[in-house]
Amino acid sequence: MKRHLLMLLGLAGMSFVYTGCTKDPLNNLSTDESRIYITDHDSSVNFSNYKTFNISDSVAVIDNGSMKKQLGAVDSAYINTVTKYMEQDGYTLVSKEQNPDVGVDVNRIISTSTGVISYGDYWGYYDSYWDPYYWGYPGYGYYIPYGYSVYQIKEGAISVDMLDLKNAAQDKKINVIWTGLIRGSGIFDTTVADSQVKALFDQSPYLKTN
Amino acid sequence: MKKFKIILTALGIMFFSQSVSAQKNTFKLDLGYNYSLPVGGFKSDIVSDNSPRGFMGSLMYAFSDKISAGLGFGFQDYYQKYPRALYPLGKTQEVSAVLTNSIQSTPVLLKAAYFPLTGAYLKPYVSLGAGANIIDFNQYLGEFGSSQTNAGFLAQGGLGLMIPFKKFSASGFNIGADYNYAPYNKNGYHDLSNVNFQAGVTINLK
Repeated sequence: MKRHLLMLLGLAGMSFVYTGCTKDPLNNLSTDESRIYITDHDSSVNFSNYKTFNISDSVAVIDNGSMKKQLGAVDSAYINTVTKYMEQDGYTLVSKEQNPDVGVDVNRIISTSTGVISYGDYWGYYDSYWDPYYWGYPGYGYYIPYGYSVYQIKEGAISVDMLDLKNAAQDKKINVIWTGLIRGSGIFDTTVADSQVKALFDQSPYLKTN
Repeated sequence: MKKFKIILTALGIMFFSQSVSAQKNTFKLDLGYNYSLPVGGFKSDIVSDNSPRGFMGSLMYAFSDKISAGLGFGFQDYYQKYPRALYPLGKTQEVSAVLTNSIQSTPVLLKAAYFPLTGAYLKPYVSLGAGANIIDFNQYLGEFGSSQTNAGFLAQGGLGLMIPFKKFSASGFNIGADYNYAPYNKNGYHDLSNVNFQAGVTINLK
């Protein structure tokens, strides 16, 4: 009897440890800790050669493959914040008519039905989201010289892309020279826009023009 | 592989040298709590925190008062969350993330134990084991995770003390410690070795 009781207690203890005592990584993350910031750039580019920039007047919202331009409160917050950190890195905001050296796009990527979007697909349709005509180069294509990885995007992401307009006419294409991607929970919020964009610029010190 | 063969040979020698003089011929079930300390590359590269979340057990056949052999098993959950840091993803690509490593280890071993003091009330023992270690390795960058399940080799050496509930009882309390040598060659990591402290009961099944 005592033996059976001991066995029962031991087995119950083991079951408890096996099912109840494993630490769930996702339950132990704060909202801030859940976010990741990915940046990449063209290593052949010397960013100090670029002095001026212009930023898109709206955000491309890519929702399960379809795209629309939008300028809501969140979009404005991200555009204003990217502008702020570009200026802090030494770039001067100019109008498109003043031939900026760099064009900056902001994109919101949402997945609501399939749950997964391939970042590769996002690049495949980039010229439909941002017609090169927008930057004054109709008929040109975009080119990303570094091997940007494919990410499975769940929930959503915000991407910021820097385009080389200074050499577009000479290269006959618009090179993407820097990309930043923000992923995680709660990023579509005006109150967190500043800290999210700051993280991208903080981990890209090579962007400074001076 | 060479180490594996040496351990198997040692287990075999212990097993067969004693089976001819078997005295007890009973099964013993060990169940207990396991506290694990990652060591070596496991501690420096993957999980530095000790794990209080585990259990161990074994079902052993007592060939004599001195020798028993059988199957050992266990489970341990390791977890470590590292503060936000910048990690390279490629030549020019970087990710800033809170990195979490979550590992569940389930060893299944062939095991043998040797009790040198048969007449004494307290029964110290040494044990050897070797077998498979089923590893479920989950690594998260922020909330984005990847998972890999593999089976690797594990060799174990341990020592302990069995404290009978009463004199001449084959059941009792059991405390011990062991070292698990656990090579792991995935994702640029090489080692999941650990040291364990255990406390539990030994139940004589007759």
